[in-house]
Amino acid sequence: MGFEAFTFILMSGILLGGLYALMATGLAVVWTTLGVFNFAHGAFVTLGAYMAWQVSQSVAGGFGFLIAVATSVTVMFCLGFVLHFALIKPFERNQNVVLLAVVSTLAAASIIENAVLLNWGPRDKQIAPPITSKIDFFGASINTFDFVILGIALFALFGLALFLRRTTVGRTLRAAAQNREAAELMGLNVPKLFAITLGLSAATAALAGVFVGSLRFINPTFGADPLMKSLIVVILGGVARFTSPIYAAFVVGIVESFSAYFLGLYWSPALLFAMMIAVLLIKPEGLFGHRSKTL
Amino acid sequence: MTKPLLELRGLSGGYPPVSVFRDVSLSVKQGEHVGLFGPNGHGKTTLLKTIAGVLDPWDGGIYFEGKRLNAVGKMQARVSHNLNYDLFRKRRINALDVVDAGLIYVMQGNLLFPEMTVEEVLDIAPRAARNRPGVAQMRRQIHDLFPRLRERWTSKIRYLSGGERQMVSIAVGLLAMPRLLMLDEPTLGLSPKLRIELSEAVRNIRETGVPLIIVDQNVEFLTSLVDRLILFDHGTITREIPAENMPKHAELMDMMFGGAH
Ligand SMILES: Nc1ncnc2c1ncn2[C@@H]1O[C@H](COP(=O)(O)OP(=O)(O)OP(=O)(O)O)[C@@H](O)[C@H]1O
Ligand SMILES: [Mg+2]
Repeated sequence: MGFEAFTFILMSGILLGGLYALMATGLAVVWTTLGVFNFAHGAFVTLGAYMAWQVSQSVAGGFGFLIAVATSVTVMFCLGFVLHFALIKPFERNQNVVLLAVVSTLAAASIIENAVLLNWGPRDKQIAPPITSKIDFFGASINTFDFVILGIALFALFGLALFLRRTTVGRTLRAAAQNREAAELMGLNVPKLFAITLGLSAATAALAGVFVGSLRFINPTFGADPLMKSLIVVILGGVARFTSPIYAAFVVGIVESFSAYFLGLYWSPALLFAMMIAVLLIKPEGLFGHRSKTL
Repeated sequence: MTKPLLELRGLSGGYPPVSVFRDVSLSVKQGEHVGLFGPNGHGKTTLLKTIAGVLDPWDGGIYFEGKRLNAVGKMQARVSHNLNYDLFRKRRINALDVVDAGLIYVMQGNLLFPEMTVEEVLDIAPRAARNRPGVAQMRRQIHDLFPRLRERWTSKIRYLSGGERQMVSIAVGLLAMPRLLMLDEPTLGLSPKLRIELSEAVRNIRETGVPLIIVDQNVEFLTSLVDRLILFDHGTITREIPAENMPKHAELMDMMFGGAH
């Protein structure tokens, strides 16, 4: 393998890592705050991508892409907000809430996927990328848009982290995540804060969806793969810190991209799962951090 | 006759299906400081948590400034083991209403938010009361009340000692601009030095005229702070002792356990 090929694979792995980081962080934030795993996260990615596709169909050009992103992210935030009251809040006082939420979010995933299928049909679609130029990067020719995507993904994550640390709403969100009872006694509206969390998570999923949709073809069930990868990322990295799944996402992205080159596309999920199981056996709290659950 | 600030009428509650306290009636007037004393595990915390709205009352009424805070009527027992009945069961009291009314509960041994700094916690604390006057002044007062906290301003709650955590808890309660403050075992597990420091702070809070309900196991601490002592035993109020004949520790033990101690 030449240096050029190496750079190319590494860069595509890093790009993949950026997308996984975006998706996994959304999943991790819901897990640490609401205490449930959102199996509709992949469907959020799909729906976000399709909504952006729809908008970009009617408004062309780079400006259209921006409008598509903004629309999709905003609508998905609202949907996530509302879905908290439908999928998770009704079960929160049940001792089996984790299990019930698995079922209710899986149901939501199925409903969303089928709604997408009904509305947009089964044929593959692609969002036209706003930038099509390539640049020379250490000998490899890389899409300029890849760098833009990576930049925006990291910027969004940085913004989310800043929101959680520095703003009052973000701080109340973390408070509700860390001690629900104390937050209630402080007069914080915990259900609303949880709904905002699911909304933010859905918004990051939508952003990731738009990027995936402009890199490859999308169909109504493509969200299953991002969901699986995010799951691996969250388990691999742990949720000890906000950044834990982000590091893990880049590890997974790079491993996936190299294993796809050396072992073939069909073996890379198996390799990732093997990695995940190894980590579960050796360091069950995740690779990055030593505590189990914080925000 | 002045109207009571807080009034409990025949209140019962517990952790379903276990009943913890029954038929508790109590009224606290404006400016009054009440102590609640009773053996461990007899339901003082459960009672206060029910008043604060984090647990559902089973029966009876909670009135604050004449306004009823909990739903009317008895809580229904679970009727079916097959139906997911919890799904349809409404909460019978809303903690947010209670906080909004100004009835503030400072939890026993509160862990608060382990990963947040003292500064962050105190920053979000006044959200419930941010429209009420005096929050800014209260913020300054916190510094004088708990000088110790200033040194720990940027430490995470996780790294604080029990006493410091207790101070943050009380500070959080104060920043909600309470019209009645309920303190649950503020001196639990504190060294004598810290206990003195804390009782000094509570005394200062008392001076500001905020009515208090204090639960504590330390009789000297309690009797020096309250106007009225309520003895709580096996989930009911067994006796009320006015300020004039506040008992010593030994006398109190005599009253509660008939000289067994
Ligand atoms: N979360 C819970 N679920 C079930 N039962 C509980 C729970 N918390 C407390 N209890 C039970 O309720 C009873 C009353 O407990 P509570 O904490 O109200 O007592 P307390 O008077 O505050 O005691 P202490 O002086 O030790 O604080 C105890 O028998 C306890 O075992
Ligand atoms: Mg107690």
